[in-house]
Amino acid sequence: MIHAQAAVPLGRGRFTELSLLIWVATLAITGFVAVLATETSSFRPTAVVVPAVFLALMLSLHVFLVGIRFRGDQILLPIAAGLTAIGLVLVQRLASDLLLQQLSWSIIAAGAFAATIVVPRDLTALARFKWTWALLGLLLLIAPLLPVIGREINGARIWIKVGPGSIEPWEAVKILLVIFFAAYLEEYREVLSHAQRRIGPFPVPPVPYLVPIVAMWGIAMLVMVFEKDMGATVLFFGIFLAMLFLATGEAFYAIIGLGLLILGGIVAYQLFGHVQARVDTWLRPFDEDLRFGTGYQLVQGLYALANGGLIGVGLGNGMPDRIPIVWSDFVFDAFAEETGFLGALALLGTYLLLVYRGMIIAVRAPTPFLQLLAGGLSFIIAFQTLVIVGGNLRLIPLTGITLPFVAYGGSSLVTNWMLVGILMRVSQVSERMRGGGPS
Amino acid sequence: MTSPISANIRSLTLTLALAFLVTSIGAAYWTVLASDQLANDPFNPRLIAATNDRPRGAIVDRNGSPVATSEKADAGFIRSYKDRTLAQVVGYASPKFGLSGVEAAYADSLIGQDPADPVSIWKARYLGDRAPAGQVLLGIDLKIQKAAADALGGRKGAIVALDPRTGAILASVSVPSYDANQVVDPSKQDAAFDQLSHSPDHALLNRVAQGLYPPGSIFKVVTGAAALENGFDPTKKLRVDDPYQADKSWGDYFVRSASHAHGLFDMSDGFRLSENIYFAQVGLQIGAAKLTDYAKRFGIGSTPNLDLPAAKGQLSDSGSIDRPTLLADTSYGQGELLVSPLQMALIYATIANGGVMPTAHYATEVRDADGHVVRQIAPGPQGQVISPTTAKTLTTMLVGAVSGQGGFAFGARIPGVDVAGKTGTAENRPGEAPHGWFVGFAPASNPTIVVAVIIENTPEGGVAAAPLGAVVMRAALGK
Repeated sequence: MIHAQAAVPLGRGRFTELSLLIWVATLAITGFVAVLATETSSFRPTAVVVPAVFLALMLSLHVFLVGIRFRGDQILLPIAAGLTAIGLVLVQRLASDLLLQQLSWSIIAAGAFAATIVVPRDLTALARFKWTWALLGLLLLIAPLLPVIGREINGARIWIKVGPGSIEPWEAVKILLVIFFAAYLEEYREVLSHAQRRIGPFPVPPVPYLVPIVAMWGIAMLVMVFEKDMGATVLFFGIFLAMLFLATGEAFYAIIGLGLLILGGIVAYQLFGHVQARVDTWLRPFDEDLRFGTGYQLVQGLYALANGGLIGVGLGNGMPDRIPIVWSDFVFDAFAEETGFLGALALLGTYLLLVYRGMIIAVRAPTPFLQLLAGGLSFIIAFQTLVIVGGNLRLIPLTGITLPFVAYGGSSLVTNWMLVGILMRVSQVSERMRGGGPS
Repeated sequence: MTSPISANIRSLTLTLALAFLVTSIGAAYWTVLASDQLANDPFNPRLIAATNDRPRGAIVDRNGSPVATSEKADAGFIRSYKDRTLAQVVGYASPKFGLSGVEAAYADSLIGQDPADPVSIWKARYLGDRAPAGQVLLGIDLKIQKAAADALGGRKGAIVALDPRTGAILASVSVPSYDANQVVDPSKQDAAFDQLSHSPDHALLNRVAQGLYPPGSIFKVVTGAAALENGFDPTKKLRVDDPYQADKSWGDYFVRSASHAHGLFDMSDGFRLSENIYFAQVGLQIGAAKLTDYAKRFGIGSTPNLDLPAAKGQLSDSGSIDRPTLLADTSYGQGELLVSPLQMALIYATIANGGVMPTAHYATEVRDADGHVVRQIAPGPQGQVISPTTAKTLTTMLVGAVSGQGGFAFGARIPGVDVAGKTGTAENRPGEAPHGWFVGFAPASNPTIVVAVIIENTPEGGVAAAPLGAVVMRAALGK
């Protein structure tokens, strides 16, 4: 159970945050040292510079928050920093060529975070422009399908070209979607949760009020079909169901939704080759015809896990590099090989802590909009983690979703930091209401 | 009244926490519970990587002659395979395609981490301190192996020889074979492996243990054993008139005699002249239940205990004998029976070994780098399948089949040695020549070698196979 009392006293300074950041520094430094110690042949100065730059970056965020007398949560920043640090260590371990790129992205992410902390001045104002967010989200979703700027990478058309690189717009869409849902559901949740009629035990929802969100969801699904990205499709669907449940408390919506998801999955399995391949690979990756084909990545991931044992083989000692594209899709398996079950458990625990903290902020938020906003954003972190780790562990079919903060990838890192920024803003609003004083 | 959002948040959080719990259990499963099995999976690249920069243990025959060694190459060590006729047994250790054969089955022993030596396993895993690899000894005797391979020549088929007392496999030939050196050669591996995995001849298949064939007349020992152990009098004469059917309900279905026989047969005659109609009648008399029982006791339809992959074959398509014509056909080795040469060798080894079935195994010993024995591989027998008396009676009849008047298996005779054996001409799909079988053992009074020979699609059938059996037994007995 989540209790509404503050777990950490929030004074003038941010000592909790600072002391937790010292732990992050310890983690980052020992991580890099451990990886470097096993790479005797290829020492690069970047490996010393990167943790130093990163820690300076985190410290400046802390100083920034103290400077503007920010009074919100002190736990989220160290958790996000710790996860990002693990991500950098793993990029150094698995794809050291990409290290500078990932560091640049974390600088951009830190900037985006700082911006989110100050803009907009009034968080509640977001709700007023809900249709703008919906429209912007749709545009971003469609963007990869457009000629010239759209790009297809590894079979999924979910990228747009920006300068020399490419970004995944759906990462931003997930936040816009939560803002839109939170605003819309705040307005109509009373109507939605009081079914006028019932057929037997089943409430008949007031259809007209459901149209806008169902349409929003439907368009998202349709676009995803064209962009061939199961991960984002499942995530959007999850956000839709979770927020509907948060607003109405009707488990009925969630059950119907899950039924629809399974039905949709069966239809997609019949219709689309790439969906069928994913499911077959999940069910029998060790089959002779799959283990060297579509099942290769998953099977190599399972070998990595098996090598982990209870305490792991130690950072830099395993062979996770045998997993294709390990730095983006299979970081969890790589981490588990080298840190073992205990490491994997600690990582999952850290995510759960982040989610839990976010949900506490949601419970304590003063308005339904802010509650739904914080709840929806926390749900994103939980859901993404569960879906990708579940895929890596062969509990569910694998989807190309990123492990928040840890997996290599710029768009994901930036949006997740903004997500944490918004959560901290919500906690600040609650603090102000509680304290009554100006910030 | 709309439920407060806070309550909904709590419910959702609880659900998510439960999902995290399930995920953690999943992580525990793969990292800890399933760890041993996956760590030794033949395709796990970690097993091969452990020997990329250091020699992998050698595989040697029973006299210490090498059949697989590691040799220094430009990039680390590369495997060198000495005997093409052992390709499917020894297998390959390829960084790209994983492991097969003994290379796979003893992968941990060959990198100095034998299961009998947990200290080495832990030191390698957690300290990166790997013991130098020892070697794996096979039961194979290269002298007998060569005799068997030469005898079969280019003909498709298989020969397996084993010691009936221990189950150690002395020779194992499967034709067509392949050159494993090409599978591990970085410049040739892709073409070689692609060609092998698509070859219509299934060169990668170890026909000895994985090839399934109808047994034909060599199966008659099973019918004979079932009859002898159920009070059937082997001296009782049965009337044989070719063609045979039990009653009119068989319609136009008949059992045919290979020699178009008409006359009175006892069991010795039945074995000597390989009379189908005699054994069809025996089978019908003892009934489907008893025949099924003995076929199962002899291991038909179940995977033999072996340190390499083995096929299980079948008694029939449905697994049971559900009609009289199928009972009659099964009794003389046709019907829907499918067996591997190894399974047949084990059935005859049981007869040779006083009714006790040995456990077949290719490897006999694991040694460390200093030559000390780490582990003896001597699996105990499978158990008493038939009584010593029955085994003795069958042996006498099988000696008759080789050296008796007009014995079909005359080609297996060895001067000065009593050979027990049986030929078989297994009918095949329509339009294909039959498979020729011989299974036998020697010396009949105190057997030290059992051999099973199959030549695929040979018009002469079992007559062609018997001399090959003799060649292999002579090599083993030094005659």
